[in-house]
Amino acid sequence: MAINLKPVDVAVVGLGAAGGVAVLPLARAGLRVAGIEAGTWMDPHKDFHPDEIYNNVRGMVTTGDKIRREAPTFRTDANQKAQRGGPSPMMNAVGGTSIHYHAQSWRLKPWDFKTVSEVKRRYSASHLPHGSTLEDWPLSYEEIEPFYDTVEYEIGVSGKAGNIRGVLDATGNVYEGPRQREYPMPPLRTTDYQENMKAAARSLGWKPFHSPAAINSQPRNGRGACGYHGYCDRGGCHLQAKNSTCFTTIPAALQTKRLTIFDRAQVTRIISDNMGKVAGVQYTREGKEYFQPAKAVLVGSYTYENVRLLLLSKSKPYPNGLGNNHGQVGKHYFGHWDAQAGAGVNALFPMDLNLWYGAILSQGVVVDEWADDSFDHSGLGFIGGASMTAYMEKHPIAAAAGQTFGQAPEWGSKWKTWIHENAGRTASAYIQANSFPYENTYLDLDPDARDPLGDPVIRVTSGPKENERSAALYAQDRMEQWFKAAGAVAVSKGNPVGPRLSTHTYGGTRMGDNPDTSVVDKWGFSHEAPNLGLLGGSVFGTSGARNPTLTIQALAWRTADRLVKAWKSIAV
Amino acid sequence: MPGKKPSFDLTRRSVIASATLIPVTALTATAQAPATALAPAQKKTLEAFVDRLAPKDELGPGAVECGAANYIDRQLAGYLAAEKETLTAGLAAVDSYARTAHGAPLAELSGEQRDAVLTAVENGSAADVPNARAFFNRVRRLTLEGMFGDPYYGGNTNFAGWDLIRYPGPRLAVAAEDQKMDKPPKPYRNSAYGSNHGH
Repeated sequence: MAINLKPVDVAVVGLGAAGGVAVLPLARAGLRVAGIEAGTWMDPHKDFHPDEIYNNVRGMVTTGDKIRREAPTFRTDANQKAQRGGPSPMMNAVGGTSIHYHAQSWRLKPWDFKTVSEVKRRYSASHLPHGSTLEDWPLSYEEIEPFYDTVEYEIGVSGKAGNIRGVLDATGNVYEGPRQREYPMPPLRTTDYQENMKAAARSLGWKPFHSPAAINSQPRNGRGACGYHGYCDRGGCHLQAKNSTCFTTIPAALQTKRLTIFDRAQVTRIISDNMGKVAGVQYTREGKEYFQPAKAVLVGSYTYENVRLLLLSKSKPYPNGLGNNHGQVGKHYFGHWDAQAGAGVNALFPMDLNLWYGAILSQGVVVDEWADDSFDHSGLGFIGGASMTAYMEKHPIAAAAGQTFGQAPEWGSKWKTWIHENAGRTASAYIQANSFPYENTYLDLDPDARDPLGDPVIRVTSGPKENERSAALYAQDRMEQWFKAAGAVAVSKGNPVGPRLSTHTYGGTRMGDNPDTSVVDKWGFSHEAPNLGLLGGSVFGTSGARNPTLTIQALAWRTADRLVKAWKSIAV
Repeated sequence: MPGKKPSFDLTRRSVIASATLIPVTALTATAQAPATALAPAQKKTLEAFVDRLAPKDELGPGAVECGAANYIDRQLAGYLAAEKETLTAGLAAVDSYARTAHGAPLAELSGEQRDAVLTAVENGSAADVPNARAFFNRVRRLTLEGMFGDPYYGGNTNFAGWDLIRYPGPRLAVAAEDQKMDKPPKPYRNSAYGSNHGH
């Protein structure tokens, strides 16, 4: 029998990038909040190290124990048996994956929210990707803009605006939607390499700009500025200059004394009453089972686990899983076609680049000419494109393990001579393509693979996509052009085969107006269980050509804000 | 950290971290030798192997001098213990192939003969070496970790690996001039875990 806990107003499942933000507006409004987290606090002094083996080889800050136990299976089509796909790099900890992320903090474009109507308007319906289940988001860029602004100032984002209320500034991103004001901090420090890449981009007629980053470029709110030490990728920040939720919104919520954190607590079911409202969550902690009653539940446990929790939480009103009476939970899932999906580009330069230090993508230069609908797609055969980032920070093992561009063997004296000269002369670019949902790409429960509690893990079915592959190949050619304009003597391009398990996955509890094609409404609440909200990439209908976290956080804030403002109609 | 910091609430991860990362050897002068996994003959074969991946030459120390075999030996007794069986079986198979093809175990062959053995393992043509390509790739990968990883783990002796690729070392804070293209910073030869490592 589960131990019954004292009821709270809101139970938030997962205190990562999404739940870690949602708790703040709830707590500030005076609601009693239980934050239930599978991991626990990490200590910046003991748990974060400038050490490639610790961070990048062994993943000590990237993959939590729980996610290892329940790693999804993967297959590329419905006729295959899915295989365990290896651990997905999601952290179980207070702060979650925002501890080790690259912190590039983007707003999506107005186009991302209304892709279907924009494609029909500028081209024709026949340009929409074959087999896609794309639809416009139920909200516009203008509706989410105030929440982007709030989150940028609450957590702290460094950057340069390219469009303030319609006034363009080419030192920022002129392709972004209009914002109401400048970023709270200027971009991270520039470098010779970035200036070289900017000059090359300008020589091609492009408008490069510095990455927007949730990293302090100057001291702010009692925490210091970035130290550029070069172990930002998959590592926590020893200076707490990376604005992970464990250093920003979660401590702020704790200060209100309205948030209680239940750590090392694994939520196993969301419980509903006979009327179809959710009544609370069940979790296990150190072998004991607890029931936390709540008037509303917000689930922010990452795309795979959000879907799994709903599908596992069967009850009389929801025989096929919570909020799944329309059969939409798990549908419209998709992964991001990015460098991890094979879309990366590498280059060899004839001079020492000194990229060793820095702050990975956040200390980067971006070109957005070839993303979204920034360019005319007539006759190209695809929609969307990709953002391209040239960045700082590389590590010694990865530098030595890199390819030799056909100029040397991979071992022996000749190799040694080659890396002596060239390990510091190679650079990589991060490519992120616009990615979309399809009929043949979805999540469900694996019929065989189970976690140690006996619950099925998620099965990912995700096959090749012509549109995204074409967009990625197109962007890779542009990246090659950029590297060569900057002086690269050799360029190699990955083979964009498509995403497997990833930190950039979307859909499964899509947001929409129509319960027959989506799981949550425009506020993030279930079409079926009115006091159940979903947080995270699982509500996205398109990915954008950029990292998802800031949009996840703006939506999480908006869902929490909605709960506060409509408390009586949602929760009582 | 602003707000609450339940630092007394030791997590499993922080227990592991403090157990592995606050080295006993740093605290006492009579340092205990770290645990190793390989028998002397196995270590010798491994050294003969990694020596050809990155030989000592006019550019300076090779994989053996960088402590790559020490790294592997120590990690097989610790974090990589689960791989010990596969790796030692692979080493034995390589030795047996060396005997068949060249009449002596790997460590007793010339550099050229050892290169021939490694090439046969790399391209999968070495008879009776199970999963030869995977074995080769794994040993090469671990050699890179041993040469270019933090010396804390037993390799990268005297920071020779970092010097080889001209990596200037982990600094906790990096100034703007340290990111210049034309003037790479002076090497900072230090382990992330203090000055007791790497020398």
